[in-house]
Amino acid sequence: MNNPTKILFVLILFLALKSNAGEKRDSLTLKGDMGIFYEGYGLNKTPGSSLPDFYKARKPWNLLRYSLNPVFSYGKWEIPVNFNFNLNFGQNNFNSGFSNFALPPGMKQSFWQFLTNPVNNFGIRPKIGNTEFLLGTQYVKYSDLSTGDLGIFGYGVNLAPGKFRIKLFKGVSQGPINYVAPSIPNPNGVPGAFQRNQWMAQLGLEKEGKYFAGFNIVKSVDKTGSVTLPPLFPIEPQENMVVSFLANVKTEKGWNYHIELGQSFFTRNLNAPVSITPVEDFKPFINSHISTSKDNAVMLGIAKKGSDWEIGTRFNYYGAGYYTAGFQFMTNDKMEYLLNTRFNAWKKKMNIVGSIGERYGNLSRTAGPDLTKQLIANVNVFTQFTDQFSMNAGFNNFGFNSPGLSGYKSVSNELTVNPVYTWNSSNMSNLLSGTYTWSKYNETTIIPPNTTKNNTQTALLLYVPTFFNSKISPDFSIMWFKNSAPSISLTLLTATSGMSWKMNSKFKLKGQLQYSLSTTSPFTANKNLLATSGFDWEIFKRLTWQLTATANVYHYGTELPGNSLIPIYTGSPGYFESILRTGLQYKF
Amino acid sequence: MKKIKLLLILGMFLIIQTIHAQITLNLALNPRPQPYLSDWMYPVNGQMIISFIPGTVVNDPNVKLKTTLLDQGRNIIGITNINAARVYTLRQGVNQFTMADALQLQNLMLPGNVQSLLQRTGRLAAGDYYLQVELYNAGGDAVRAKQTARFSVISYQLPVLMQPANEAKLDAHIAQNMITFRWTSLVPTSSEQTFYRVQVYEMLPGQTPMQALRGNQPILDEPATRGMTQFIWRPNLSMIDSTANHKFIWTIQSMDAKGIPVPSMDMTTQGRSEPAVFTIVNQAEILGEKSKNEVLKTH
Repeated sequence: MNNPTKILFVLILFLALKSNAGEKRDSLTLKGDMGIFYEGYGLNKTPGSSLPDFYKARKPWNLLRYSLNPVFSYGKWEIPVNFNFNLNFGQNNFNSGFSNFALPPGMKQSFWQFLTNPVNNFGIRPKIGNTEFLLGTQYVKYSDLSTGDLGIFGYGVNLAPGKFRIKLFKGVSQGPINYVAPSIPNPNGVPGAFQRNQWMAQLGLEKEGKYFAGFNIVKSVDKTGSVTLPPLFPIEPQENMVVSFLANVKTEKGWNYHIELGQSFFTRNLNAPVSITPVEDFKPFINSHISTSKDNAVMLGIAKKGSDWEIGTRFNYYGAGYYTAGFQFMTNDKMEYLLNTRFNAWKKKMNIVGSIGERYGNLSRTAGPDLTKQLIANVNVFTQFTDQFSMNAGFNNFGFNSPGLSGYKSVSNELTVNPVYTWNSSNMSNLLSGTYTWSKYNETTIIPPNTTKNNTQTALLLYVPTFFNSKISPDFSIMWFKNSAPSISLTLLTATSGMSWKMNSKFKLKGQLQYSLSTTSPFTANKNLLATSGFDWEIFKRLTWQLTATANVYHYGTELPGNSLIPIYTGSPGYFESILRTGLQYKF
Repeated sequence: MKKIKLLLILGMFLIIQTIHAQITLNLALNPRPQPYLSDWMYPVNGQMIISFIPGTVVNDPNVKLKTTLLDQGRNIIGITNINAARVYTLRQGVNQFTMADALQLQNLMLPGNVQSLLQRTGRLAAGDYYLQVELYNAGGDAVRAKQTARFSVISYQLPVLMQPANEAKLDAHIAQNMITFRWTSLVPTSSEQTFYRVQVYEMLPGQTPMQALRGNQPILDEPATRGMTQFIWRPNLSMIDSTANHKFIWTIQSMDAKGIPVPSMDMTTQGRSEPAVFTIVNQAEILGEKSKNEVLKTH
């Protein structure tokens, strides 16, 4: 810890103790919950092994997770704990490429990797009065243009002296992973990752429920020396810095205003030469490289809320070079606006929710000479005609147009109607619900000139009888689905029956049986039986146990003939999939 | 007589060649280099080769580069300052340089709009360009070699997820049988057919969306039909339980014909679109409970 950090630490402690001095002490209390969760997965294929592999395992064979979320309270102190992690210390993440966290089979994570593994949470947030300490894994969100949806392992503090809001946090959002070349036992290899250190700060003024105005600063930097075998191109060490101004105002008359202005500095490759062109340094935070870019983003919003209505509009602009490590999948180079409303009509029996907006992309023209344009419109109307009869109708449209010779256009229109009718007798209530969805999706390309028309229809009929004097609650449904496209005609027919049986106040059995036929023309139908059963059991007042077992039996029709496999199989291929989920939860 | 003249000319030429050093410049520039100009340091973008054969009298191995960037109409849009150019001392034989050395991004003077775009994005606008490199003596007053190479720049914009929209609620009875995914196409559409990989991750109890995305095994990881921006997933998963198969996060990874992520503007360089979350709702349970409560109230 260097001197400025020590001074800051002492200052924070002083502020925390000063603002909470003289508070009376109380006894220790404990709230929250803890639990253990297990999922087992099984897959048996017929034939057992063949080429091509017609069905792949879609879950890990065993998954054990533990959660511990107690909240300790002692006087003015409150300490919420959030531990949520995979119990198997040697378990590696799936190589999804998002975090590049996967390790080769058989290789165990180091303790540091276990702590910083994005699949695990180890966080506590001790709070005394208005001072909150953040330790371990934290999902710190300051704003939409700064940070963030990432879990960061580190430490920080939130202070709220008077109207001032001071937040600081420093940590690691990505642990270091060495590159591993593809090999025979590990054909995918490991792409590797640099350790990413991230720190952030917020300084603002707030009157709760009235306004907030402040600045956010977020900086992240990849440590080039954090790995002995660095990842290969295009994974390069990066550096990012975002400064944003955020203001929210709420008035007593129901007006809401929101504004955020952000500027980002982003160095794509810290190994590129240092240079003050094209972007000048931002001292003392950023030493520019030739791979550094600088851009802006804007978010504006205004809304008015009445007793039973609401209307609002928002405008967002993200420059083509606007990046923030706090939201690493944020789409940039776009501008969008949206108008939305919600109101009641017809003696409050009708509720209407609607929105319409446009989005323009490729503002920088780096992806072609023209803008792309997207239209998004939705409307949903719910009407309670009588006590017995209601109807929900929805329509949504989106169109996307990328003009030019290499252009593309798509238009989707979807209409959904859902009438619900209920009728009662002295000992039971009946509910009949129908849902019909018509969806049309056309895609047009300029080269080659072609339009693909995709029509989809879905119909669902659901019947739910409720017996007032019975502990059994069944439901029955049938579903029909048809998708027609030039080369595909898929029909799906499904019958489902579900049941829950509350045997006593502490034990509830539940189950579902579903049979479906899916036919892709001109082949014969694939047959599928899905059976699920389980229970919710309150073993003690604070301890509950849930268990669900699912069996999925699937037989292919002529869509996958056995003689198309290597080695040739004489029967119909199929598979049996089983999933067992169980969890014990204890509430303090 | 003619033969004697020819021999004399050839002899003179050889003498001059041995007196003057011979320098040749070859710009082996990838006609489709990477869109980020700072990435031109990588060999995939090509290389600049300067061959140097010292002469007996004129033997200066020191050279400077002058780089000119021209647009499709051969109008100059960028030029380096020869006075600020680095002096290279050539070795006898073949000298290899990266395309970043040829481009001299640190020394490139661009007009306002091109400079602004480069500052904001690190890229040029999509289009055809010419890169002209002139090899000067160290004094910067005599051209010793010159070559021009044509290239085109294109960046891709990743698809935007459309359906299910972010934070959509899907009915369990339909969703456990089929879920339709739709997204916009890659922009511009690639001349090679793009292949979209659809990935869906279940959010386990207590997990945040990004946690699931970064750590879990995808429950769906399938390619869509080539060129298509729609995928119908038949989950065959029981979704009646609120603790299982309840929340999902999905995304699209755009791949080229070789199965390599399309180089786009995303920070992760993985060609993955901004993900969206959807939730499964058991309508039968909600309607059943609602109906029962209403009846019990009236009784």
